[in-house]
Amino acid sequence: MIEHDFPEDFTPIAAELQRLPYLSPSRGFADRVISRIDRLHPAAALAPVATGRHLELQQGGHSPLRRRSPGVVRVAATAVAGVALVTVAAFMFIGIDILTAILAAGASQYALVIAAVGTEAGALVLGAEAIGYLQAGAIEAVALYLTLAVGLLGSYAGIRTAASIAKRKAA
Amino acid sequence: MPTKSYTDVSDQQIVLFAQAGREDAYRELIRRYERPVYSLIYRMVRDNETAEDLAQETFIKVLNHIDRYRPEFKFSSWLFKIANNITIDHLRRRQLDTISIEGSPDAVTGESMRATAVTVKSGGESPLEELESRELGAAIEAAIARLRPEYRACIILRHVEDYSYDEIAEIVKLPLGTVKTYIHRARQELREHLEGLK
Repeated sequence: MIEHDFPEDFTPIAAELQRLPYLSPSRGFADRVISRIDRLHPAAALAPVATGRHLELQQGGHSPLRRRSPGVVRVAATAVAGVALVTVAAFMFIGIDILTAILAAGASQYALVIAAVGTEAGALVLGAEAIGYLQAGAIEAVALYLTLAVGLLGSYAGIRTAASIAKRKAA
Repeated sequence: MPTKSYTDVSDQQIVLFAQAGREDAYRELIRRYERPVYSLIYRMVRDNETAEDLAQETFIKVLNHIDRYRPEFKFSSWLFKIANNITIDHLRRRQLDTISIEGSPDAVTGESMRATAVTVKSGGESPLEELESRELGAAIEAAIARLRPEYRACIILRHVEDYSYDEIAEIVKLPLGTVKTYIHRARQELREHLEGLK
């Protein structure tokens, strides 16, 4: 009860004000509010770690930011890595001419140009000798492809480790 | 996550659970304050639909920014502050300075006029007392509706929600002296409007 700081003739009105009833919003009010709370988004609710990150992002006083789900990123990365490995395998076990044939099927008029440019670019990066191995399909080419694949995966793992260390330090 | 019982848990503690992402904590905060917040807003705008929209907007804003809550303040003060800001902004947009007891100016149909007309509770007294109480209650609702919106918020926060002058000043973001003046004038106007009733 608040202290009595009004004149006596206001007392009945003050008493009546205190008796004013609370009014209720319509049914389902809470559900409608909850459905619009960003941080209770089902994806965030199922993944406590992701929810924590979401909370951190809002600390700056800005509107809630929508993070891309880590699951989606993981699937996309896996898909890219898978396609890369399949391509490498195609190079290794079937031969460079298959790739050229695929390119030719898609864009026959540019296939030769693409192959020529690819060869030139490859020679510039890997050296003419390595390109020779690749085109010949020799055992050295297999070793080269394996080295490239290991290097690719190693780099990817290195970047992920660095990112996770940086994230932990930032937290 | 299992649902927790929040019966004897303080607002501050529930906010901590909400900040950790617990839906039941959000629901508990809504359960505790949906009626006070909706009542305050309704008595300022006098339209069910508008009051519900504004109350919903208030909770969404507060709960989406729950991590900004500072525990040194009462959670309810922060909530009422947001509710008051949202409502005053709405009233300024609509320029609803005076409101009729027969219904809100927001109401356009006969049905919505009836829905927005002042209604009062039955207090469980004798029929005569109940009638008098209903009359006085309705008259008070009508008298509140005739106050300026700023006065309405202050008088409701003071006499319905039991807030101190300092807390009201914090909620409505006005100097303490202005709040005291508003409440003094609101009381005077209420007395004038209700003169001869009791």
